[in-house]
Amino acid sequence: MNLYLTGVILLPLLVSALLLILPPKISKGLVILSSLVLSALALLLYIQVDEPLRITLPHAVNEGIVVADILMLLYFGWVAIRRKSVLVGLLSVLQLGGLLYLLRTLPASEAPQLLVDKLSTFMLLLINVISGIIAVFSLRYIDEEDCSAFRKKFFLSVLFWFIAAMNMVVISDNLEFFFFFFELTTLASFLFIGFRKDEVSVKNALTALWMNQIGGLTILAAIFFIAYNGYGEITFTNLLAHSTAEGVLLPLALLSMAALIKGAQLPFSKWLLGAMVAPTPVSALLHSSTMVKIAPFIILRLSPAIKDTPVAMVLIGLTGFVFIASAISALSQDNFKRILAHSTIALLALMIMMGAVGSPVTIVASLVLVLFHGISKCMLFLNAGILERVFHLKQSSDMDKLGESGPFTALVISIGFMSLLLPPFGAFIGKWLSIETIGTLATDKKLLGALVMVAVAGGGAVLSLLYFKVMGLLIARSGEKDRVQFEKTGPYYAGTTYLLLGLVMAGIIGLPLLLMYYFGPVATTTLGQAVPVFQDGWNFFVGTMRIPMLPMLIAFILLPLTLVTAMFIRFRHADRAKEYMCGEKVNYSFSSFYFTIDRAVPYFSAAGILFFIALLLAALL
Amino acid sequence: MNGYLLPVLLIILAPFIGGLVYGFERIVKARMQRRIGPPLLQPFYDFLKLADKRQMIVHSAHAFLGIMHFVSLWFALALLLLGADLILVIFLHLLSSALLIMAGFSTRSIFSHLGANRTALSILAYEPVLIIIAVSLFINTGSFDAAAAFTSEEPLLFKMPLAFVALLLVLPIKLKKSPFDVAEAHQEITGGVELEFSGLFFEAVYTAKWLDYIFCYTLVFLFAGSNILLGIGLVAGTFLYLNALDNSTARVNYKQMLRFSLGIAFTLAFINLLINSLT
Repeated sequence: MNLYLTGVILLPLLVSALLLILPPKISKGLVILSSLVLSALALLLYIQVDEPLRITLPHAVNEGIVVADILMLLYFGWVAIRRKSVLVGLLSVLQLGGLLYLLRTLPASEAPQLLVDKLSTFMLLLINVISGIIAVFSLRYIDEEDCSAFRKKFFLSVLFWFIAAMNMVVISDNLEFFFFFFELTTLASFLFIGFRKDEVSVKNALTALWMNQIGGLTILAAIFFIAYNGYGEITFTNLLAHSTAEGVLLPLALLSMAALIKGAQLPFSKWLLGAMVAPTPVSALLHSSTMVKIAPFIILRLSPAIKDTPVAMVLIGLTGFVFIASAISALSQDNFKRILAHSTIALLALMIMMGAVGSPVTIVASLVLVLFHGISKCMLFLNAGILERVFHLKQSSDMDKLGESGPFTALVISIGFMSLLLPPFGAFIGKWLSIETIGTLATDKKLLGALVMVAVAGGGAVLSLLYFKVMGLLIARSGEKDRVQFEKTGPYYAGTTYLLLGLVMAGIIGLPLLLMYYFGPVATTTLGQAVPVFQDGWNFFVGTMRIPMLPMLIAFILLPLTLVTAMFIRFRHADRAKEYMCGEKVNYSFSSFYFTIDRAVPYFSAAGILFFIALLLAALL
Repeated sequence: MNGYLLPVLLIILAPFIGGLVYGFERIVKARMQRRIGPPLLQPFYDFLKLADKRQMIVHSAHAFLGIMHFVSLWFALALLLLGADLILVIFLHLLSSALLIMAGFSTRSIFSHLGANRTALSILAYEPVLIIIAVSLFINTGSFDAAAAFTSEEPLLFKMPLAFVALLLVLPIKLKKSPFDVAEAHQEITGGVELEFSGLFFEAVYTAKWLDYIFCYTLVFLFAGSNILLGIGLVAGTFLYLNALDNSTARVNYKQMLRFSLGIAFTLAFINLLINSLT
């Protein structure tokens, strides 16, 4: 087996075990070192793998996975009994029953279990680099956590086997493998969300567990239908090979459902919103590089098969709806992490939508969003952690003093928001490509295209307003404190922040190169057809899409640079004046206003459920 | 080359023309009230007077954002006049307003905060209509480019009359005209976001409003296609309508504004889009 591949799978497992027994001093070094090694391995693997690599593991591994599977489901059952959760219990029993049934009826698989292609190595790079940064950040964060020494070790240990499980998810071709590692990430997030062991944590952890278990169940159902329809091997490769066979839509729809649930799309968004109670590095991990990114991954994997089918149409409609619904929901939020969570759900919807459209341009757009959203969200969440620990801030409305007490953190958060919003950052390019290409959809499916365009453009506008509101509070200060003095936050916090800032900047400067030599090739293998990405004069082409570079460049100078300059610029010769109060001496809290739309939320969930039913119907009819 | 001459001239002269429009507007409004009104060049006299004032700012970032609001609005307008992608134009226009909102939130002033918040609400009120117009443009012409509308043989007005009505309904919000001038509301919140700007720095925010006139009337002009006479007629009609409306109505509160624009204007534009995409 490939050396680098063995490394990215076994190294995190080894580190995970060692972290439990080693003394804290040594484990700090170990975490930093292994994060570096993992990133390097993932990079080497990306460079090395050109043609898809199929790897057959010995049969003993299959049996090992089955045993581990059963043990895990029994653990879920035990959790259900201990926490008296009927839902978890019921789902565990269903899953166990389904699994045992499948084990009895399925013939032994001979096909290679692992598939490592460009899409897998693309995901591996994202997972290992970003999770590594989060692991280093957690060293200090978890040190300050109020819990026993063992719990601290346990946290880091779970983090590393979580990385291993994620690495396996993106290289599994065999669906039984995929099911196991999918459920393993569910287990990890269950442990993480319940880490603080208070009442809310336990409750939210259980919500995350049962919702993701439904996802596991739909994967089992998909396996059942693949076998039942007589397609042979239960692998992704084989499923894609049967993309025109009769009845193939049902397993595809079921797998897409698993993706939608992992990706916290409505009505399953509650688990991700509830995950906020965990220590902040967990949120960073779940939102940026792991867990929710399984959703676009599954859809991208399946996109050659689902594009242009009724399933894809329902997926596009659903994600368009989720995009605008979560943007509107975000407006009523004040908790900083919840604002971030809603925007994650919205952007995930966009990634899934682009994967489901499945044209060359949209696949590139989806990949661009997956990568840059990962980097930006990681930076934002880690800084939310710094806000909590260093500045003791949780609500965005309290942040209006941050510009004076912590200008550096304020600047980093502003850059994070900008990188999700403004040209020419990757996320903007991704969004823009999305809006424009839904247009091509609109030529034959006019109504759907028109509705989705309005949803995406409208949702985008709503989200931008929200971001700008938070950013306005971040630069607030009074005339006397016009000079900026950066604060110090210590090596772990500052180091990881600088690293992520560097990645964001590299993303802007290198975007044309990245599009040509990174996203282009990955999209080509994902789609199985050439995706031309090239530059011609002042225009940049992705497939048939034209990106005008001059307006983008000017927009860059006008917007992101303006906001950064605004932090530093000083007008020396102008006098400072106090704000006008109209003679009033009222105590006014400078919270940003927000709008209560809580009445609408139940309807959002109901609409989400309808979309899920429509997804099944589209596959059946 | 000739095709670019007119837009480039318009772009360069935009603040000046905008100022003239504003001056003319003050005269027309005064005549509607049977007053004589200020001279046509009054806005420019005000401009010169402001430049002479003592420079006072709350803090530097706030003043700087005001200037950049003007610059980025000019850029968005330039792209529109050059016939660029309408989605991009609308987005950049949104961002230029967002800079002003940021400026508003960056001070510790009550009125500035209230104004910034109301400006945000105003954007929520008119932005969806603009987006639907862009999407309808795409459905009708197969392109998002504003140039496609300028060169269209058949005026868009006939294809999307309801969208035009919707635009007329939300323009007072954009231009801060009564009954939808909640964002500025001098008697209530003393000008909102503008309040904390003064002297030379207020100049930027003041002239940005002139640019907004050109931006809005260009949007109106889009509906005439290549028919220039019709375009001039539409712009003149809209001008009279806006001033008559401003003179004859009283301010509503922001909830009523939102309900009106999202309930009626948005619905009208949306129905138009549905009709366009079904036929």
